Amino acid sequence: MSALHLAGLTVRSHRRRILGLVAFVAIALAAASAARILVADEHGHVNADQLFLLGGYPAVSALLLLGWLLGRFPLIATLVLMAGLVSHDHAEGYARLYAVRPLSPVRVYGTRFVVLGGLAFAVSAVLLPAFDLLLLGTWAGPATLVLILANVLVFGALTAFLSVWTRGDAWIALLLGLAALVWQALRDAGRLAVPPGVRDVVSFILPPQAALFRLEEAFGDVAPIPWDAFVYAAGYGLVLLVIAALALRRREL
Amino acid sequence: MIALDEVTKSYGSAPARGPRPAGDAALREISLRIARGEVCAVVGPNGAGKTTLFGLVLGFLEPSAGSVRIDGVPPRRYTRRHGAAYLPERFRLPADWTVAAALRALARLEGLDRREAARRADALLERFALVDHADRRIGALSRGLLQRLGLAQTLIAERELVVLDEPTDGLDPLWRVRFRDLVEELRREGRTILIASHDLAEVERLAERAVLLDNGAIREIIPTRRPEGEATLYRIELASPSDAVALAFPNATPADPGAGDAAGAGPVDGGTTAYHIAVANESELSRRLAALLEAGAVLVSVAPVAVPLEERVRRAFGGGDA
Repeated sequence: MSALHLAGLTVRSHRRRILGLVAFVAIALAAASAARILVADEHGHVNADQLFLLGGYPAVSALLLLGWLLGRFPLIATLVLMAGLVSHDHAEGYARLYAVRPLSPVRVYGTRFVVLGGLAFAVSAVLLPAFDLLLLGTWAGPATLVLILANVLVFGALTAFLSVWTRGDAWIALLLGLAALVWQALRDAGRLAVPPGVRDVVSFILPPQAALFRLEEAFGDVAPIPWDAFVYAAGYGLVLLVIAALALRRREL
Repeated sequence: MIALDEVTKSYGSAPARGPRPAGDAALREISLRIARGEVCAVVGPNGAGKTTLFGLVLGFLEPSAGSVRIDGVPPRRYTRRHGAAYLPERFRLPADWTVAAALRALARLEGLDRREAARRADALLERFALVDHADRRIGALSRGLLQRLGLAQTLIAERELVVLDEPTDGLDPLWRVRFRDLVEELRREGRTILIASHDLAEVERLAERAVLLDNGAIREIIPTRRPEGEATLYRIELASPSDAVALAFPNATPADPGAGDAAGAGPVDGGTTAYHIAVANESELSRRLAALLEAGAVLVSVAPVAVPLEERVRRAFGGGDA
Protein backbone atom coordinates (compact mmCIF):
# COMPACT_ATOMS: atom_id res chain seq x y z
CA MET A 1 0.00 0.00 0.00
CA SER A 2 1.34 3.38 -0.97
CA ALA A 3 2.35 6.07 1.46
CA LEU A 4 0.22 8.37 -0.69
CA HIS A 5 -2.90 6.43 0.24
CA LEU A 6 -2.02 6.59 3.93
CA ALA A 7 -1.42 10.31 3.54
CA GLY A 8 -4.81 10.69 1.86
CA LEU A 9 -6.53 8.84 4.70
CA THR A 10 -4.77 11.06 7.23
CA VAL A 11 -5.86 14.26 5.51
CA ARG A 12 -9.41 12.95 5.17
CA SER A 13 -9.68 12.00 8.82
CA HIS A 14 -8.24 15.36 9.94
CA ARG A 15 -10.05 17.58 7.46
CA ARG A 16 -12.16 19.37 10.09
CA ARG A 17 -9.10 20.32 12.12
CA ILE A 18 -7.29 21.41 8.94
CA LEU A 19 -10.25 23.53 7.89
CA GLY A 20 -10.39 25.05 11.38
CA LEU A 21 -6.75 26.08 11.19
CA VAL A 22 -7.15 27.44 7.66
CA ALA A 23 -10.17 29.44 8.82
CA PHE A 24 -8.12 30.85 11.71
CA VAL A 25 -5.35 31.82 9.28
CA ALA A 26 -7.88 33.50 6.98
CA ILE A 27 -9.37 35.50 9.86
CA ALA A 28 -5.94 36.57 11.15
CA LEU A 29 -4.82 37.66 7.69
CA ALA A 30 -8.13 39.45 7.09
CA ALA A 31 -7.66 41.35 10.36
CA ALA A 32 -4.08 42.25 9.42
CA SER A 33 -5.19 43.34 5.94
CA ALA A 34 -7.96 45.50 7.38
CA ALA A 35 -5.50 47.13 9.79
CA ARG A 36 -3.09 47.81 6.96
CA ILE A 37 -5.77 49.30 4.70
CA LEU A 38 -7.12 51.49 7.47
CA VAL A 39 -4.02 52.69 9.31
CA ALA A 40 -0.90 52.10 7.20
CA ASP A 41 1.79 54.83 7.35
CA GLU A 42 3.92 56.05 4.44
CA HIS A 43 6.28 53.02 4.81
CA GLY A 44 3.45 50.54 4.55
CA HIS A 45 3.55 49.70 8.30
CA VAL A 46 0.48 49.47 10.45
CA ASN A 47 0.67 52.52 12.66
CA ALA A 48 -0.30 51.82 16.26
CA ASP A 49 -1.08 55.49 17.05
CA GLN A 50 -3.51 55.72 14.16
CA LEU A 51 -5.01 52.40 15.18
CA PHE A 52 -5.55 53.79 18.68
CA LEU A 53 -7.25 56.87 17.24
CA LEU A 54 -9.45 54.66 15.11
CA GLY A 55 -10.47 51.95 17.56
CA GLY A 56 -9.09 52.95 20.95
CA TYR A 57 -7.48 50.46 23.33
CA PRO A 58 -9.61 47.51 22.18
CA ALA A 59 -8.27 47.74 18.61
CA VAL A 60 -4.63 48.03 19.70
CA SER A 61 -5.05 45.27 22.29
CA ALA A 62 -6.72 42.99 19.78
CA LEU A 63 -3.89 43.43 17.33
CA LEU A 64 -1.24 42.85 20.01
CA LEU A 65 -3.09 39.76 21.25
CA LEU A 66 -3.36 38.46 17.71
CA GLY A 67 0.37 39.05 17.21
CA TRP A 68 1.19 37.21 20.45
CA LEU A 69 -1.11 34.34 19.49
CA LEU A 70 0.46 34.07 16.06
CA GLY A 71 3.89 33.83 17.68
CA ARG A 72 2.60 30.59 19.25
CA PHE A 73 0.75 29.47 16.15
CA PRO A 74 3.24 26.74 15.10
CA LEU A 75 2.84 25.20 18.57
CA ILE A 76 -0.96 25.51 18.46
CA ALA A 77 -1.24 24.12 14.92
CA THR A 78 1.03 21.21 15.80
CA LEU A 79 -0.92 20.30 18.93
CA VAL A 80 -4.28 20.65 17.17
CA LEU A 81 -3.25 18.39 14.31
CA MET A 82 -1.23 15.85 16.27
CA ALA A 83 -3.72 15.39 19.13
CA GLY A 84 -4.71 11.72 19.33
CA LEU A 85 -2.19 10.72 16.64
CA VAL A 86 -2.05 7.15 17.98
CA SER A 87 -4.31 7.20 21.03
CA HIS A 88 -7.48 8.00 19.08
CA ASP A 89 -7.12 4.78 17.08
CA HIS A 90 -6.62 2.82 20.28
CA ALA A 91 -9.64 4.35 21.96
CA GLU A 92 -11.92 3.86 18.97
CA GLY A 93 -10.71 0.35 18.20
CA TYR A 94 -9.37 1.22 14.74
CA ALA A 95 -5.88 0.22 15.84
CA ARG A 96 -7.00 -3.41 15.97
CA LEU A 97 -8.40 -3.18 12.46
CA TYR A 98 -5.02 -1.88 11.29
CA ALA A 99 -3.13 -4.48 13.30
CA VAL A 100 -4.68 -7.49 11.53
CA ARG A 101 -3.57 -6.16 8.19
CA PRO A 102 -0.05 -6.75 6.97
CA LEU A 103 1.03 -3.21 7.78
CA SER A 104 3.77 -1.86 9.96
CA PRO A 105 2.32 0.45 12.63
CA VAL A 106 5.48 2.50 12.45
CA ARG A 107 4.77 3.09 8.77
CA VAL A 108 1.12 3.99 9.40
CA TYR A 109 1.80 6.42 12.22
CA GLY A 110 5.10 7.62 10.75
CA THR A 111 3.29 8.66 7.59
CA ARG A 112 0.59 10.28 9.66
CA PHE A 113 3.21 12.21 11.66
CA VAL A 114 4.96 13.43 8.51
CA VAL A 115 1.70 14.50 6.84
CA LEU A 116 0.30 16.29 9.87
CA GLY A 117 3.66 17.83 10.75
CA GLY A 118 3.99 18.98 7.16
CA LEU A 119 0.53 20.55 7.28
CA ALA A 120 1.27 22.31 10.59
CA PHE A 121 4.48 23.63 9.06
CA ALA A 122 2.83 24.71 5.81
CA VAL A 123 -0.06 26.55 7.47
CA SER A 124 2.31 28.30 9.88
CA ALA A 125 4.77 29.09 7.09
CA VAL A 126 2.01 30.89 5.22
CA LEU A 127 0.56 32.72 8.19
CA LEU A 128 3.61 34.05 10.01
CA PRO A 129 5.46 35.65 7.07
CA ALA A 130 2.21 36.95 5.54
CA PHE A 131 1.17 38.53 8.85
CA ASP A 132 4.58 40.18 9.25
CA LEU A 133 4.52 41.43 5.67
CA LEU A 134 1.06 42.93 6.14
CA LEU A 135 1.82 44.60 9.46
CA LEU A 136 5.51 45.46 9.16
CA GLY A 137 6.10 45.42 5.43
CA THR A 138 8.92 42.89 5.94
CA TRP A 139 9.49 39.41 7.38
CA ALA A 140 12.26 37.74 9.38
CA GLY A 141 13.46 35.61 6.49
CA PRO A 142 14.40 31.92 6.75
CA ALA A 143 14.68 32.22 10.56
CA THR A 144 10.87 32.15 10.58
CA LEU A 145 10.79 28.81 8.81
CA VAL A 146 13.50 27.35 11.05
CA LEU A 147 11.60 28.46 14.17
CA ILE A 148 8.38 26.91 12.83
CA LEU A 149 10.16 23.67 11.95
CA ALA A 150 11.75 23.44 15.40
CA ASN A 151 8.35 23.89 17.08
CA VAL A 152 6.73 21.28 14.85
CA LEU A 153 9.52 18.79 15.51
CA VAL A 154 9.64 19.30 19.28
CA PHE A 155 5.93 19.47 20.06
CA GLY A 156 4.85 17.12 17.29
CA ALA A 157 7.26 14.45 18.49
CA LEU A 158 6.31 15.06 22.13
CA THR A 159 2.60 14.65 21.30
CA ALA A 160 3.29 11.54 19.20
CA PHE A 161 5.39 10.07 22.00
CA LEU A 162 2.70 10.70 24.61
CA SER A 163 0.00 9.49 22.24
CA VAL A 164 1.39 5.97 22.30
CA TRP A 165 0.26 5.74 25.94
CA THR A 166 -2.39 8.34 26.70
CA ARG A 167 -5.38 10.10 25.19
CA GLY A 168 -4.46 13.36 26.89
CA ASP A 169 -1.38 13.62 24.65
CA ALA A 170 -1.77 17.17 23.30
CA TRP A 171 -2.87 18.63 26.64
CA ILE A 172 0.05 17.02 28.45
CA ALA A 173 2.41 18.27 25.72
CA LEU A 174 1.01 21.77 26.18
CA LEU A 175 1.43 21.55 29.96
CA LEU A 176 5.00 20.32 29.55
CA GLY A 177 5.65 23.17 27.12
CA LEU A 178 4.33 25.69 29.66
CA ALA A 179 6.30 24.02 32.44
CA ALA A 180 9.45 24.27 30.31
CA LEU A 181 8.71 27.95 29.71
CA VAL A 182 8.43 28.68 33.43
CA TRP A 183 11.37 26.42 34.30
CA GLN A 184 13.63 28.10 31.77
CA ALA A 185 12.58 31.59 32.89
CA LEU A 186 13.37 30.72 36.53
CA ARG A 187 16.63 29.11 35.48
CA ASP A 188 17.69 32.17 33.45
CA ALA A 189 16.81 34.38 36.43
CA GLY A 190 18.84 32.16 38.77
CA ARG A 191 15.75 31.52 40.90
CA LEU A 192 15.79 27.71 40.78
CA ALA A 193 16.39 26.42 44.28
CA VAL A 194 17.30 22.88 43.22
CA PRO A 195 20.64 21.06 43.05
CA PRO A 196 22.48 21.52 39.73
CA GLY A 197 22.15 17.81 38.87
CA VAL A 198 18.37 17.85 39.23
CA ARG A 199 18.18 21.14 37.38
CA ASP A 200 20.10 19.72 34.43
CA VAL A 201 18.09 16.49 34.31
CA VAL A 202 14.76 18.34 34.38
CA SER A 203 15.95 20.79 31.72
CA PHE A 204 17.04 17.83 29.60
CA ILE A 205 13.68 16.04 29.92
CA LEU A 206 11.39 19.05 29.43
CA PRO A 207 10.93 20.48 25.91
CA PRO A 208 14.12 22.35 24.96
CA GLN A 209 12.87 25.81 25.74
CA ALA A 210 16.35 27.36 25.84
CA ALA A 211 16.98 26.28 22.24
CA LEU A 212 13.54 27.50 21.16
CA PHE A 213 14.20 30.87 22.91
CA ARG A 214 17.39 31.30 20.94
CA LEU A 215 15.58 30.55 17.69
CA GLU A 216 12.83 33.01 18.66
CA GLU A 217 15.44 35.69 19.37
CA ALA A 218 17.00 35.16 15.96
CA PHE A 219 13.53 35.47 14.46
CA GLY A 220 12.68 38.62 16.47
CA ASP A 221 16.01 40.33 15.91
CA VAL A 222 16.40 39.20 12.30
CA ALA A 223 19.73 37.76 13.43
CA PRO A 224 21.71 34.79 12.00
CA ILE A 225 20.09 31.42 12.69
CA PRO A 226 21.65 29.60 15.70
CA TRP A 227 21.92 26.22 14.02
CA ASP A 228 23.24 24.51 17.14
CA ALA A 229 19.98 25.41 18.90
CA PHE A 230 17.99 24.02 15.97
CA VAL A 231 19.99 20.79 15.96
CA TYR A 232 19.42 20.38 19.70
CA ALA A 233 15.66 20.94 19.34
CA ALA A 234 15.43 18.62 16.33
CA GLY A 235 17.49 15.99 18.15
CA TYR A 236 15.10 16.15 21.11
CA GLY A 237 12.21 15.49 18.75
CA LEU A 238 14.01 12.73 16.93
CA VAL A 239 14.87 10.86 20.14
CA LEU A 240 11.21 10.99 21.23
CA LEU A 241 10.10 9.71 17.83
CA VAL A 242 12.52 6.77 17.99
CA ILE A 243 11.28 5.82 21.48
CA ALA A 244 7.66 6.17 20.29
CA ALA A 245 8.37 3.93 17.28
CA LEU A 246 9.95 1.26 19.47
CA ALA A 247 7.05 1.43 21.92
CA LEU A 248 4.51 1.19 19.10
CA ARG A 249 5.84 -2.19 18.13
CA ARG A 250 5.32 -3.50 21.65
CA ARG A 251 2.24 -1.56 22.72
CA GLU A 252 -0.84 -3.64 23.51
CA LEU A 253 -3.97 -2.71 21.62
CA MET B 1 -2.05 -23.83 13.50
CA ILE B 2 -2.79 -21.97 16.77
CA ALA B 3 -1.12 -23.11 19.97
CA LEU B 4 -1.73 -21.61 23.38
CA ASP B 5 0.37 -23.06 26.17
CA GLU B 6 -0.36 -22.28 29.80
CA VAL B 7 -1.41 -18.76 28.85
CA THR B 8 -2.28 -16.36 31.63
CA LYS B 9 -3.27 -12.77 31.04
CA SER B 10 -3.59 -10.20 33.79
CA TYR B 11 -4.52 -6.57 33.36
CA GLY B 12 -2.96 -5.49 36.63
CA SER B 13 -5.33 -3.15 38.35
CA ALA B 14 -7.87 -3.08 35.50
CA PRO B 15 -11.45 -2.81 36.65
CA ALA B 16 -13.20 -6.11 37.22
CA ARG B 17 -15.86 -7.33 34.83
CA GLY B 18 -18.33 -9.93 35.84
CA PRO B 19 -17.54 -11.94 38.90
CA ARG B 20 -13.75 -11.56 38.60
CA PRO B 21 -12.20 -9.45 41.33
CA ALA B 22 -10.17 -6.41 40.24
CA GLY B 23 -6.55 -7.19 39.43
CA ASP B 24 -7.25 -10.89 39.00
CA ALA B 25 -6.20 -12.69 35.79
CA ALA B 26 -8.52 -12.26 32.82
CA LEU B 27 -7.31 -15.66 31.55
CA ARG B 28 -5.69 -18.39 33.60
CA GLU B 29 -3.43 -21.15 32.32
CA ILE B 30 -5.18 -21.65 29.01
CA SER B 31 -3.82 -24.45 26.87
CA LEU B 32 -5.49 -25.00 23.55
CA ARG B 33 -4.64 -26.27 20.08
CA ILE B 34 -6.64 -25.21 17.04
CA ALA B 35 -5.92 -27.11 13.87
CA ARG B 36 -5.67 -25.58 10.43
CA GLY B 37 -9.09 -25.56 8.78
CA GLU B 38 -10.95 -26.02 12.08
CA VAL B 39 -13.97 -23.99 13.08
CA CYS B 40 -13.70 -23.45 16.82
CA ALA B 41 -16.21 -21.57 18.92
CA VAL B 42 -15.60 -19.90 22.25
CA VAL B 43 -18.59 -19.56 24.51
CA GLY B 44 -18.98 -18.33 28.04
CA PRO B 45 -20.68 -15.70 30.16
CA ASN B 46 -19.95 -12.00 29.72
CA GLY B 47 -16.50 -11.29 31.12
CA ALA B 48 -15.39 -14.92 30.81
CA GLY B 49 -12.35 -13.84 28.78
CA LYS B 50 -13.45 -14.52 25.19
CA THR B 51 -12.34 -11.18 23.79
CA THR B 52 -9.11 -11.35 25.76
CA LEU B 53 -8.45 -14.78 24.28
CA PHE B 54 -8.96 -13.37 20.78
CA GLY B 55 -6.75 -10.42 21.64
CA LEU B 56 -3.97 -12.83 22.54
CA VAL B 57 -4.47 -14.95 19.43
CA LEU B 58 -4.27 -11.89 17.19
CA GLY B 59 -1.33 -10.39 19.05
CA PHE B 60 -3.19 -7.33 20.34
CA LEU B 61 -2.24 -8.44 23.84
CA GLU B 62 0.87 -10.06 25.24
CA PRO B 63 0.41 -12.99 27.61
CA SER B 64 1.48 -12.37 31.20
CA ALA B 65 2.69 -15.96 31.26
CA GLY B 66 2.81 -18.82 28.80
CA SER B 67 3.04 -18.55 25.05
CA VAL B 68 0.84 -18.10 22.01
CA ARG B 69 2.05 -19.20 18.60
CA ILE B 70 0.49 -19.24 15.16
CA ASP B 71 2.32 -21.45 12.73
CA GLY B 72 5.19 -21.41 15.22
CA VAL B 73 5.63 -17.65 15.39
CA PRO B 74 4.26 -15.01 17.77
CA PRO B 75 0.83 -13.77 16.65
CA ARG B 76 1.95 -10.21 15.95
CA ARG B 77 4.63 -11.45 13.62
CA TYR B 78 2.14 -13.78 11.95
CA THR B 79 -0.44 -11.04 11.32
CA ARG B 80 2.19 -8.60 10.04
CA ARG B 81 3.29 -11.25 7.57
CA HIS B 82 0.01 -12.92 6.60
CA GLY B 83 -2.76 -10.72 7.98
CA ALA B 84 -5.98 -12.03 9.51
CA ALA B 85 -9.67 -11.47 8.97
CA TYR B 86 -11.12 -9.95 12.11
CA LEU B 87 -14.52 -8.75 13.18
CA PRO B 88 -14.34 -7.05 16.58
CA GLU B 89 -17.15 -7.34 19.09
CA ARG B 90 -18.04 -3.70 18.58
CA PHE B 91 -17.10 -2.99 14.99
CA ARG B 92 -16.52 0.69 14.36
CA LEU B 93 -15.15 2.91 11.65
CA PRO B 94 -15.10 6.72 11.42
CA ALA B 95 -18.73 7.85 11.45
CA ASP B 96 -18.30 10.29 8.56
CA TRP B 97 -16.94 7.72 6.12
CA THR B 98 -19.38 6.28 3.62
CA VAL B 99 -19.88 2.53 3.38
CA ALA B 100 -18.27 2.27 -0.06
CA ALA B 101 -15.37 4.55 0.85
CA ALA B 102 -14.71 2.53 4.01
CA LEU B 103 -14.47 -0.73 2.10
CA ARG B 104 -12.23 0.85 -0.53
CA ALA B 105 -9.99 2.38 2.14
CA LEU B 106 -9.66 -0.92 3.99
CA ALA B 107 -8.98 -2.71 0.71
CA ARG B 108 -6.16 -0.26 0.03
CA LEU B 109 -4.79 -0.98 3.50
CA GLU B 110 -4.73 -4.64 2.48
CA GLY B 111 -2.31 -3.66 -0.23
CA LEU B 112 -4.68 -3.71 -3.20
CA ASP B 113 -4.19 -1.09 -5.89
CA ARG B 114 -6.87 1.53 -6.48
CA ARG B 115 -8.67 -0.35 -9.25
CA GLU B 116 -8.60 -3.72 -7.52
CA ALA B 117 -9.71 -2.12 -4.24
CA ALA B 118 -12.72 -0.54 -5.96
CA ARG B 119 -13.58 -3.81 -7.67
CA ARG B 120 -13.33 -5.75 -4.44
CA ALA B 121 -15.37 -3.18 -2.52
CA ASP B 122 -18.12 -3.29 -5.18
CA ALA B 123 -18.23 -7.08 -5.04
CA LEU B 124 -18.60 -7.02 -1.25
CA LEU B 125 -21.29 -4.34 -1.39
CA GLU B 126 -23.18 -6.63 -3.74
CA ARG B 127 -22.61 -9.75 -1.67
CA PHE B 128 -23.72 -8.17 1.60
CA ALA B 129 -26.65 -6.29 0.01
CA LEU B 130 -25.09 -2.95 0.89
CA VAL B 131 -25.29 -1.45 -2.62
CA ASP B 132 -28.27 0.72 -1.70
CA HIS B 133 -26.38 1.97 1.34
CA ALA B 134 -23.04 2.50 -0.41
CA ASP B 135 -23.16 6.29 -0.11
CA ARG B 136 -24.57 6.41 3.40
CA ARG B 137 -22.45 7.61 6.27
CA ILE B 138 -21.36 4.87 8.62
CA GLY B 139 -22.67 6.88 11.56
CA ALA B 140 -26.16 6.65 10.06
CA LEU B 141 -26.19 2.87 9.68
CA SER B 142 -28.39 0.62 11.78
CA ARG B 143 -26.75 -2.01 14.00
CA GLY B 144 -27.51 -4.76 11.51
CA LEU B 145 -26.12 -2.86 8.52
CA LEU B 146 -22.99 -1.98 10.46
CA GLN B 147 -22.52 -5.63 11.35
CA ARG B 148 -22.91 -6.59 7.69
CA LEU B 149 -20.27 -4.02 6.80
CA GLY B 150 -18.09 -5.53 9.53
CA LEU B 151 -18.49 -8.97 8.05
CA ALA B 152 -17.86 -7.63 4.55
CA GLN B 153 -14.53 -6.11 5.60
CA THR B 154 -13.34 -9.47 6.88
CA LEU B 155 -13.54 -10.79 3.32
CA ILE B 156 -11.59 -8.01 1.61
CA ALA B 157 -8.53 -10.20 1.50
CA GLU B 158 -8.38 -13.97 1.62
CA ARG B 159 -6.86 -14.60 5.02
CA GLU B 160 -6.21 -18.03 6.38
CA LEU B 161 -7.05 -17.04 9.95
CA VAL B 162 -10.58 -15.69 10.53
CA VAL B 163 -11.55 -14.39 13.96
CA LEU B 164 -15.15 -13.31 14.52
CA ASP B 165 -16.24 -11.85 17.85
CA GLU B 166 -20.02 -12.03 18.23
CA PRO B 167 -20.56 -12.03 14.46
CA THR B 168 -24.35 -12.41 14.48
CA ASP B 169 -25.01 -9.59 16.96
CA GLY B 170 -27.61 -7.32 15.42
CA LEU B 171 -28.14 -9.46 12.33
CA ASP B 172 -31.70 -10.25 11.33
CA PRO B 173 -32.75 -13.92 10.88
CA LEU B 174 -32.14 -13.86 7.13
CA TRP B 175 -28.60 -12.59 7.57
CA ARG B 176 -27.96 -15.09 10.35
CA VAL B 177 -28.73 -17.81 7.83
CA ARG B 178 -26.50 -16.13 5.28
CA PHE B 179 -23.77 -15.87 7.87
CA ARG B 180 -23.94 -19.64 8.34
CA ASP B 181 -23.53 -20.07 4.59
CA LEU B 182 -20.55 -17.74 4.71
CA VAL B 183 -18.86 -19.75 7.46
CA GLU B 184 -19.57 -22.97 5.57
CA GLU B 185 -17.94 -21.46 2.50
CA LEU B 186 -14.89 -20.39 4.49
CA ARG B 187 -14.70 -23.83 6.06
CA ARG B 188 -14.74 -25.46 2.61
CA GLU B 189 -11.89 -23.17 1.61
CA GLY B 190 -9.90 -24.56 4.53
CA ARG B 191 -9.74 -21.38 6.61
CA THR B 192 -9.18 -21.59 10.33
CA ILE B 193 -12.09 -19.89 12.03
CA LEU B 194 -12.51 -18.74 15.61
CA ILE B 195 -15.95 -17.55 16.66
CA ALA B 196 -17.17 -16.12 19.93
CA SER B 197 -20.90 -16.27 20.27
CA HIS B 198 -23.71 -16.35 22.81
CA ASP B 199 -25.90 -18.15 20.28
CA LEU B 200 -25.38 -21.79 21.20
CA ALA B 201 -27.59 -23.16 18.43
CA GLU B 202 -25.46 -21.23 15.97
CA VAL B 203 -22.24 -22.49 17.55
CA GLU B 204 -23.51 -26.03 17.35
CA ARG B 205 -24.32 -25.65 13.68
CA LEU B 206 -21.06 -23.96 12.72
CA ALA B 207 -18.25 -25.17 14.92
CA GLU B 208 -16.52 -28.46 15.36
CA ARG B 209 -15.59 -27.72 18.96
CA ALA B 210 -16.86 -25.30 21.54
CA VAL B 211 -14.48 -24.06 24.18
CA LEU B 212 -16.40 -23.20 27.33
CA LEU B 213 -14.69 -20.33 29.10
CA ASP B 214 -15.67 -19.38 32.58
CA ASN B 215 -14.03 -16.76 34.74
CA GLY B 216 -10.86 -16.84 32.65
CA ALA B 217 -10.39 -20.61 32.57
CA ILE B 218 -11.42 -23.36 30.19
CA ARG B 219 -14.27 -25.21 31.85
CA GLU B 220 -14.74 -27.77 29.11
CA ILE B 221 -14.06 -28.37 25.42
CA ILE B 222 -17.09 -29.88 23.75
CA PRO B 223 -17.08 -31.51 20.33
CA THR B 224 -20.22 -30.06 18.74
CA ARG B 225 -20.36 -32.12 15.59
CA ARG B 226 -22.68 -35.08 16.06
CA PRO B 227 -20.75 -38.32 15.48
CA GLU B 228 -21.64 -40.03 12.23
CA GLY B 229 -24.76 -42.20 12.61
CA GLU B 230 -25.93 -40.69 15.89
CA ALA B 231 -29.63 -39.83 15.89
CA THR B 232 -31.09 -36.38 16.49
CA LEU B 233 -34.03 -36.03 18.82
CA TYR B 234 -37.10 -34.04 17.71
CA ARG B 235 -40.34 -33.16 19.39
CA ILE B 236 -43.43 -33.40 17.21
CA GLU B 237 -46.80 -32.12 18.23
CA LEU B 238 -50.02 -33.50 16.72
CA ALA B 239 -53.54 -32.08 16.89
CA SER B 240 -54.74 -35.37 18.41
CA PRO B 241 -53.26 -38.80 19.27
CA SER B 242 -52.65 -40.93 16.20
CA ASP B 243 -51.80 -44.61 15.76
CA ALA B 244 -49.90 -43.61 12.64
CA VAL B 245 -47.11 -42.26 14.85
CA ALA B 246 -46.03 -45.76 15.80
CA LEU B 247 -45.92 -46.73 12.13
CA ALA B 248 -44.06 -43.66 10.90
CA PHE B 249 -41.74 -43.47 13.90
CA PRO B 250 -41.33 -46.88 15.56
CA ASN B 251 -39.08 -45.32 18.22
CA ALA B 252 -41.52 -42.56 19.18
CA THR B 253 -41.95 -41.95 22.88
CA PRO B 254 -44.37 -39.67 24.69
CA ALA B 255 -42.93 -36.22 25.26
CA ASP B 256 -44.62 -35.93 28.64
CA PRO B 257 -44.75 -39.42 30.16
CA GLY B 258 -47.32 -39.97 32.86
CA ALA B 259 -49.62 -37.27 31.62
CA GLY B 260 -50.72 -39.06 28.49
CA ASP B 261 -53.30 -41.54 27.31
CA ALA B 262 -53.04 -45.29 27.24
CA ALA B 263 -50.66 -45.17 24.28
CA GLY B 264 -48.28 -43.12 26.34
CA ALA B 265 -48.53 -39.96 24.27
CA GLY B 266 -48.49 -36.80 26.25
CA PRO B 267 -51.37 -34.34 25.87
CA VAL B 268 -50.18 -30.76 26.06
CA ASP B 269 -51.90 -27.40 26.25
CA GLY B 270 -54.66 -26.87 23.73
CA GLY B 271 -55.41 -30.56 23.47
CA THR B 272 -52.43 -31.41 21.25
CA THR B 273 -50.28 -34.50 21.76
CA ALA B 274 -46.48 -34.47 21.80
CA TYR B 275 -43.94 -37.22 21.02
CA HIS B 276 -40.18 -37.47 20.97
CA ILE B 277 -38.77 -39.09 17.85
CA ALA B 278 -35.21 -39.89 16.82
CA VAL B 279 -33.99 -39.72 13.22
CA ALA B 280 -30.59 -40.03 11.62
CA ASN B 281 -30.88 -36.93 9.46
CA GLU B 282 -33.23 -34.31 8.10
CA SER B 283 -34.14 -36.28 4.97
CA GLU B 284 -35.25 -39.21 7.11
CA LEU B 285 -37.28 -36.80 9.19
CA SER B 286 -38.99 -35.42 6.07
CA ARG B 287 -39.71 -38.90 4.71
CA ARG B 288 -41.25 -40.17 7.93
CA LEU B 289 -43.25 -36.98 8.52
CA ALA B 290 -44.67 -37.31 5.01
CA ALA B 291 -45.79 -40.88 5.87
CA LEU B 292 -47.37 -39.59 9.07
CA LEU B 293 -49.31 -36.88 7.26
CA GLU B 294 -50.41 -39.30 4.58
CA ALA B 295 -51.86 -41.50 7.32
CA GLY B 296 -54.09 -38.59 8.31
CA ALA B 297 -52.26 -37.15 11.31
CA VAL B 298 -52.50 -33.38 11.77
CA LEU B 299 -49.08 -31.98 12.54
CA VAL B 300 -48.91 -28.85 14.72
CA SER B 301 -45.16 -28.41 15.18
CA VAL B 302 -41.74 -30.03 14.77
CA ALA B 303 -38.65 -28.86 16.61
CA PRO B 304 -35.27 -30.31 17.56
CA VAL B 305 -34.96 -30.92 21.27
CA ALA B 306 -32.22 -31.27 23.76
CA VAL B 307 -29.46 -29.45 21.89
CA PRO B 308 -26.48 -31.24 23.38
CA LEU B 309 -24.30 -28.13 23.58
CA GLU B 310 -27.03 -26.16 25.22
CA GLU B 311 -27.53 -28.89 27.77
CA ARG B 312 -23.86 -29.17 28.53
CA VAL B 313 -23.44 -25.43 28.80
CA ARG B 314 -26.42 -25.31 31.11
CA ARG B 315 -24.85 -28.02 33.22
CA ALA B 316 -21.46 -26.32 33.19
CA PHE B 317 -22.78 -22.90 34.12
CA GLY B 318 -25.66 -24.00 36.27
CA GLY B 319 -28.28 -22.38 34.02
CA GLY B 320 -26.50 -18.99 33.93
CA ASP B 321 -25.86 -16.67 31.02
CA ALA B 322 -23.56 -18.08 28.32
